[in-house]
Amino acid sequence: MDTLHFKIERPDRWDNPFEPEFPDADLDRLLGTAPFCDMQTEAFPKSQPLRQILRNDTRLRRFKKGEIIVRAGDYGSSAFMIVSGHARAALPPGLPDRMLGRRQPQKLGIFRAIAQLWGNSRLTEYRRPDELTSDHGAAPVGRGPEAGVFLQDVPRLLDQHKTAVIVAGEFFGEIAALSRMPRTATVFADGDDTELLEIRWQGLRDLLRFDKAIKTHIEQTYRKNALENALRAIPLFQHLSESDLQKVMAETQFGTFGDYEWSGEYKRLAKAGQAAPEKEPVVAAENDYPDGVVIIRSGFARLTKQFGSGQRTLNYLGAGRFFGLREIVHNWKNPASPIAFQTSLRVIGYTHTLFIPTSVMERVVLPTAPQNLLPKPFTAAELNLDDTDPLHEQGGLGNRVGPELMEFLTANRFFNGTATMVIDLARCTRCDDCVRACAATHDNNPRFLRHGPSSGRVQVAQACMHCTDPVCMIGCPTGAIHREAAQGNVVINQSTCIGCTTCANQCPYEAIRMVEPRDRDGGFVTDQELKPILKATKCDLCLEQYGGPACERACPHDALKRMNLTDLGSFVKWLER
Amino acid sequence: MKGYFLTRRVVAIVLLFAVAAGAIATWQHYVPLLRNLSYLTGWLLLAVILFLTAYNGRKKLPFLPLGSSRAWLQLHAYVGWLSVVVFFAHVGWRWPDGWFESCLTWMYLVVIVSGVLGLLWSRYVPRRLTSRGGEVLYERIPVIRRSLQDRAEDLALRSVAAARSSAIADFYIAHLSDFFRGPHHYWSHIVEVRTPWNRLQSKLDDLSRFLNEEQRLVLGQVTDLVRQKDGLDYQYALQSSLKLWLFVHVPLTYSLLILTGLHVVLVYGFSLGAGFRP
Repeated sequence: MDTLHFKIERPDRWDNPFEPEFPDADLDRLLGTAPFCDMQTEAFPKSQPLRQILRNDTRLRRFKKGEIIVRAGDYGSSAFMIVSGHARAALPPGLPDRMLGRRQPQKLGIFRAIAQLWGNSRLTEYRRPDELTSDHGAAPVGRGPEAGVFLQDVPRLLDQHKTAVIVAGEFFGEIAALSRMPRTATVFADGDDTELLEIRWQGLRDLLRFDKAIKTHIEQTYRKNALENALRAIPLFQHLSESDLQKVMAETQFGTFGDYEWSGEYKRLAKAGQAAPEKEPVVAAENDYPDGVVIIRSGFARLTKQFGSGQRTLNYLGAGRFFGLREIVHNWKNPASPIAFQTSLRVIGYTHTLFIPTSVMERVVLPTAPQNLLPKPFTAAELNLDDTDPLHEQGGLGNRVGPELMEFLTANRFFNGTATMVIDLARCTRCDDCVRACAATHDNNPRFLRHGPSSGRVQVAQACMHCTDPVCMIGCPTGAIHREAAQGNVVINQSTCIGCTTCANQCPYEAIRMVEPRDRDGGFVTDQELKPILKATKCDLCLEQYGGPACERACPHDALKRMNLTDLGSFVKWLER
Repeated sequence: MKGYFLTRRVVAIVLLFAVAAGAIATWQHYVPLLRNLSYLTGWLLLAVILFLTAYNGRKKLPFLPLGSSRAWLQLHAYVGWLSVVVFFAHVGWRWPDGWFESCLTWMYLVVIVSGVLGLLWSRYVPRRLTSRGGEVLYERIPVIRRSLQDRAEDLALRSVAAARSSAIADFYIAHLSDFFRGPHHYWSHIVEVRTPWNRLQSKLDDLSRFLNEEQRLVLGQVTDLVRQKDGLDYQYALQSSLKLWLFVHVPLTYSLLILTGLHVVLVYGFSLGAGFRP
C-alpha cells in the first residue's frame, strides 16, 4: 500500500538568519576590516565559513547620538563590535535608572494605600496619563522590537557621569551574551551615525571555536573581569591565596551547553506535550572518571541517576552549585579505592559552567580547604545501594519531594522561580481571596491566574515567578522590563513599555499578559493612528504595597506561598508542614 | 497533619483552655462580689464579637499591613471558641427566658455552629477535590458544561445518520439531555454517594447490548462525556458548598450585631427606667 509522506526541506543551521538580507557589499567591507581581515579563513570548516557566519549570525545596526545600545542590568544574547564611529560606556556607579527608562517601584504613602479602598477604578486596565508618559531621562522611539531609547541631555550626562570611549574594532557585551549574566554597563552611541556589528550568541560561539585570537581575547576578558569575582564568591575558594587563585583561574575551563533560547523550544514542546528534559545535553555522565569539578555559573542542570531505561531526577543545580566535588574529595582521601561519578549532570535549557580539573583541585584547593566546607566521602553503604531506589541514595531533598513531583518541577522548569506561586490544593478552598487581594492592590486588575499545572496536591499558578534566568528580559527593546534595584524582582515600567509582546512571547510560564489600557472615559488609549496601545502586565510582588505579596497574605488557609524554588530545602519544609 | 500545623494546633488549644479556665475562674470569683457582672460580660462579649467580625474587614483591606489572613483566621477560630465561654458567662449558664433573648441566643449559636462546621468543611473538602482530580475554575464551569453538552448533542445527532438508527439519540433525549443541561446529583456528590452515577452507567451498559460495533464506539464517546460531566458536577457541588456556607455565617453575623445593638438599647432603657445605674 502506498504511503503518502509529508515532505519538508531538511532544517538547516541558518534557516533563520539574524538579518534576512545582508548586502554583499557590506559583507565584503566587514571582511576587509579588523579583526575579521586578520582571521585565518582556512581555520573555519567548510560547512561554517567565516563569510557565512557573518552573513547569517550578524547584522549591521546604526545608532544615533545618545541612543542606548545596551543597558546595565539587562540580559541579552548578542555581543557588539563597533564598525565606525564610537560609543561610550558608563563607568561605575553607572547611570540612574530613570535615565535608562526604568522606574523603581516606590512604596505608596499610607493615605494612598488606604485610598485604594474607594479609589480603585471600576474600569479594567485604567491608566492615569502620567503612568503612560515617558519618564524624564529616557524616550522610546519607534515601534516593535527595533525601537530604541534615547538618553536626554547627553552633554549634561557627560558632565555628571564618568564614561569610557569605545572605538572602532572593539567588542563589548560578549561576556553577558555567552554567560547569560546581566550586562554590567550601559553603552550608548556617541556619534550621530555610529555603526555597530551585532553578533548573536551562536555566531559568537562559532567565532570563538574557530578563531584563536577572538577566543584568547574573550577568555582573557572573562578571566580578568568576571572569573575572579565568580570564584571569590564561592566559599570553597575564599581561603585561597592570591597566587593559588591565579593558578586555579589559569586552569579553569568555560563550558556552554544547551540552547540559549530554550524558552521558545520549551514552549513549543510543552504545547505538543513533549517536554522531555532527558533529550538535553550531558555535561558529565554517571560512571565516568571524575576528571574535574563542574560549577554552574548560570542556567540550570539536573542531577540524575540511571533508573530502569531512563534517568531519574535527584535534584537540580542552579548558579554556584557544584557537581563532582564529593567524588573528587572521596578519591583524594581514598586514593586506593577511587570511584566514578555517582550521578549524571544534564543540562536543562541553557547552562554556562566552569570546569576545574581534578589535578588542580587536588594540588591547590583541597589541601588548604577548611574541612567543614568539604563534603564527606561516600560510605560503603551508599556505594553499594540497590539501584532500584536511587532516590534513597541521596537520602535527602529529592527523596523527600518524591520522584513524581521532582519530575514535575524539572519538566516544567519551575526551579527557575524565586517567587513561584505554589498552592497546596489539599488546603486551598478555592475561595479566590488571593485573586481579590491581587485585584484590590492593582487597581482592580488581578495580575495572575489561580490556575496552572499541578502534580498531586501541588499546583503552580500562572503568576510571574521572578526567575533566576529571566528569559522575558532578553530582547526587550526599551528595557521596560527589568530587575528592580532593591531585591532584584522583575518589573515592567508601563511608561517605556511599547507593547511589542517580546517578553510575553518569551515567558515560558505564560505569566505575562498584554492588555489594552483605558482612559478615564473607558475608551482605549490609542496612538496617533488610532491604533490601541498595548502594555505588558504581570505580577510585581506588590512592591508598592505594604507587607509583601497581597496574594500570600490574603490566603486564610496557609495554602498559597510565594516560594524560591531554586532552594529545594524550603520547598521540602513547606511540603512537610 | 504533621509538623508545623500540629504544633500550632496543640499550642492554640492549650492556650484556649488556659484562657477559658482563667475566664471561668475570674467569673466565679466576681459573681458574689459584683451585682452587675452581666453588664461587664455583655460588653466583653460585644467586643469579642466585633473583633470576630473585624476579620471580614481585614479581607477588604489587603493593601494595609494588618497581618496575614491566616493569622486572622486562627485568631478568629480560637477567639470564636472563647466567645462561647463569655456568652454563657453572660447569660448565667442557663437558657434565656425572654423571646428576644432566646432569639439572640439562637442566632449566636447558629453563627458559632455554622463557623465551626464551615471551618471543618473547608479542611475536608479541598482534599476530596484534589484526590478526585479534574480541577476547574468555578467560574469556568458553565462554559465547560455547555461545551460538553454541545459535544454530546452533536454525537447523538450524528449517530442517527451514521448508523441509520435513532437508538443513541433517543437515549440522549430520554436520559442525558437534562443531565447535560445543568448541575446534577448535588447532594450525592456532597455526601460522596455514587448511586445516581451507577444508575446512569447501568442504563448506558443496557443500551450498549443492543448496539452494533459502530454505535458502540459512539456510545463510548458519549459515556466519556457523561463521565466528564459527572466530574464537573462534583467540582461544582463541592466548590459551591465551600462558598455557600459563608452565605449563612456572614449575613447572620451582621444580623446578630444589629440585634445585639437593639439588645444593648433595651437593657439600658429598662434598667434606667427601673432606676438602676450600672
